[in-house]
Amino acid sequence: MKNGFVFFAGLFGSIALSWGGLVLGSHKQLGGLAPFFDEGDSTSYPNRPPGVAARGQLVYADLGCASCHTQQVRRPDVGADQARGWGERQSVARDYIFQLRPQLGASRIGPDLTNLAGRKPSAPDADDLMKLLYAGSELHPAYGFLFENRPIVGERSAVALKLTGALTPAPGREIVPTERAQSLVAYLLSLNNTYDYPESRPLPKAPAKPDGAHGAAPTAKKEGEKK
Amino acid sequence: MTPASSNAEVTAVDTQARWPLLLLLGGAIKWLVIAGVLSLIASIQLHSPAFMSHWPAFTPGRTAAMAETAFVYGWAFNAGLGLALWILGRLGGEPLRALNWVVVGTFAWNIGLTLGLVGIALGDATSFSLLQLPGYVQPAMLVAYGAIAVAGILAWSGRRTDSTFASHWYAVAALFLFPWLLSAAQATLIWTPVRGVLQAVVAGWYAQGVWSLCLAPLALAVAYYVVPKVTGRALPAYEFAPLGFWSLIVIGAWTGARHLTGGPVPAWLPTLAIAACSLLLFHTSIVLLNLRGAIGGAGNSVAFIAWGLLAYTAGGLLDAITSFRSIASFTQFTHLVTAQQQLAIYGGVSMILFGGIYFALPRLTGRPWASAGFVSAHRVTLLIGLALLLVSLAAAGWVQANDLNHKDVTFAAMAADTRPWLLGASGAQLILLTANLLLAVNFCRSVCACCCCCAESAPVGSPFRPAATMEAHAS
Ligand code: HEC
Repeated sequence: MKNGFVFFAGLFGSIALSWGGLVLGSHKQLGGLAPFFDEGDSTSYPNRPPGVAARGQLVYADLGCASCHTQQVRRPDVGADQARGWGERQSVARDYIFQLRPQLGASRIGPDLTNLAGRKPSAPDADDLMKLLYAGSELHPAYGFLFENRPIVGERSAVALKLTGALTPAPGREIVPTERAQSLVAYLLSLNNTYDYPESRPLPKAPAKPDGAHGAAPTAKKEGEKK
Repeated sequence: MTPASSNAEVTAVDTQARWPLLLLLGGAIKWLVIAGVLSLIASIQLHSPAFMSHWPAFTPGRTAAMAETAFVYGWAFNAGLGLALWILGRLGGEPLRALNWVVVGTFAWNIGLTLGLVGIALGDATSFSLLQLPGYVQPAMLVAYGAIAVAGILAWSGRRTDSTFASHWYAVAALFLFPWLLSAAQATLIWTPVRGVLQAVVAGWYAQGVWSLCLAPLALAVAYYVVPKVTGRALPAYEFAPLGFWSLIVIGAWTGARHLTGGPVPAWLPTLAIAACSLLLFHTSIVLLNLRGAIGGAGNSVAFIAWGLLAYTAGGLLDAITSFRSIASFTQFTHLVTAQQQLAIYGGVSMILFGGIYFALPRLTGRPWASAGFVSAHRVTLLIGLALLLVSLAAAGWVQANDLNHKDVTFAAMAADTRPWLLGASGAQLILLTANLLLAVNFCRSVCACCCCCAESAPVGSPFRPAATMEAHAS
């Protein structure tokens, strides 16, 4: 290693190779992934989330919810993801194409939230989520700072939390979610992965590889349409 | 070879670079303590989520991000850079040049980091693991790193002898590669973000790069320098060292995608990572082969480094084993992954860096550590804390993995099952914090003693400072 130039070229080459292989390689495969157009209902999937949900994702990111929650459901034969009812199919890259900051997460202190709003038989509603965030629980941190405890002026606010028991605010006061809490909840309610893409079906008839490698199924490519 | 406690080995490189390097090392130790406090809070929040979480700045997701950032960018990078510059200067045989840049860079790096942590507390974290620093401080960090690294590169290119040594390669690689790594990640995650899950791919590449191309090389540069110096013997099987080096540099960054197993990314990514993890064992074995003299070696620095090497080897082995799909699908998303990370970054890299600091400081200040008792107390406490941390996290992760894989176990039951172990992990964080406070106090006392000594313009009769040797060197 006497020769400085060769040494630095080797270093640079190594890092460039890993970048090229991993990042450009995946980009080549997934970069052009388009929404899937379903002729049956003339809609393309995934739906582009409304702006408020997109903002909510940033709230989710900035509060670090991903330090306890994942948003990726694995194949039926991997872990108990699907048995726990977190989703009826594995997550695929197409699910995330409209997300500004996908929150795949790396830790499961709490349940996976990929398909929170599409859960069967019962998905939580806005009231449940507001209450969980406001009060927390023995297992869950509270995010009281996303809410405002204020005196009721005139009429009670339409979005004020309906709380009971020990959580009931003092008479004449109400707990109102801030804009951040509202967008976070809108985001959580937009988490729905029920639509089945060709590549997300684990059966051999599916055109894509079963492992979540989905270089855009041919039908999707042909008919895919940007909204 | 002189024993580590003697000052006779102080060279012109040491005296001249003393203050800039002490600044880096002092910064490192300061962040180590801060990271310890934050890790303790984050750890408590895992079993008692209500703890401090009514303050937005200390909501659980943010404390975890702050703890990780302070530890990696504050402690590990400052310490690694300081030691790498010192080693490159000594190996080069010439006093370090561009030290003004080092000082400016160190201030910029640490101010940037402080602002970054405040940013995370206010909610500006990027949410990418190991790259949580808000986008607005990242360019400053890049420039600061460059300013610090210049001195190392100059010392390398201006060295007296043509030949190079393993410490050279590892240190220069870390100095040279981090700016590329950070700028590529910044460009594609922050400034013009790639779409969808590609972000996870880039983030995984970056996080692994920080480990394989920066932190591990910085630590290995220290180990390769200190071990032969202290043992006084040539390294066994040294002819394989270049292979060991290049295998880490070429293969290392490919191993990151193992964390994406089963996820919504192309399946070949984890497959490549699994192969890379196994190939990397080649690197790990060469390092162990070369540096095995450290194990059982005499002296405090080498004792730290020996533990670090064992942890480094164990970490590499566990990475390879747990990367296989059947095992990864079990360990994924649990505290077992955290345990492995702690083994690598605390047990491996940090232990070696501690050893390096214990070796370097007496040579930088020209006097022994203020308290030898604190040095051994630090080592013992640290080892106890680390063992408790790893065992608790691994046990918590094991329980968690079993519970997660049984669909009928509720999260409440899982929390109850893991709680005792997570309490153990919090206890361990407290012990580690205490241990590192011992280091901080000892460091401050040693540096103050050095200051006083300098102010008194080196009294001839000083019992600590063999003035004659110092002057002979400071030509
Ligand atoms: C300290 C870890 C932790 C953090 C941080 C955390 N959660 Fe949770 N979360 C949990 C646990 C544990 C549960 C399960 C609670 C239970 O089953 O009673 C849960 C449950 C939930 C549920 C209900 C899921 C279901 O299946 O019904 C939602 C929704 C949720 N969390 C949203 C969030 C959001 C949004 C954030 C960030 C603002 C967040 N969580 C942060 C641990 C956490």
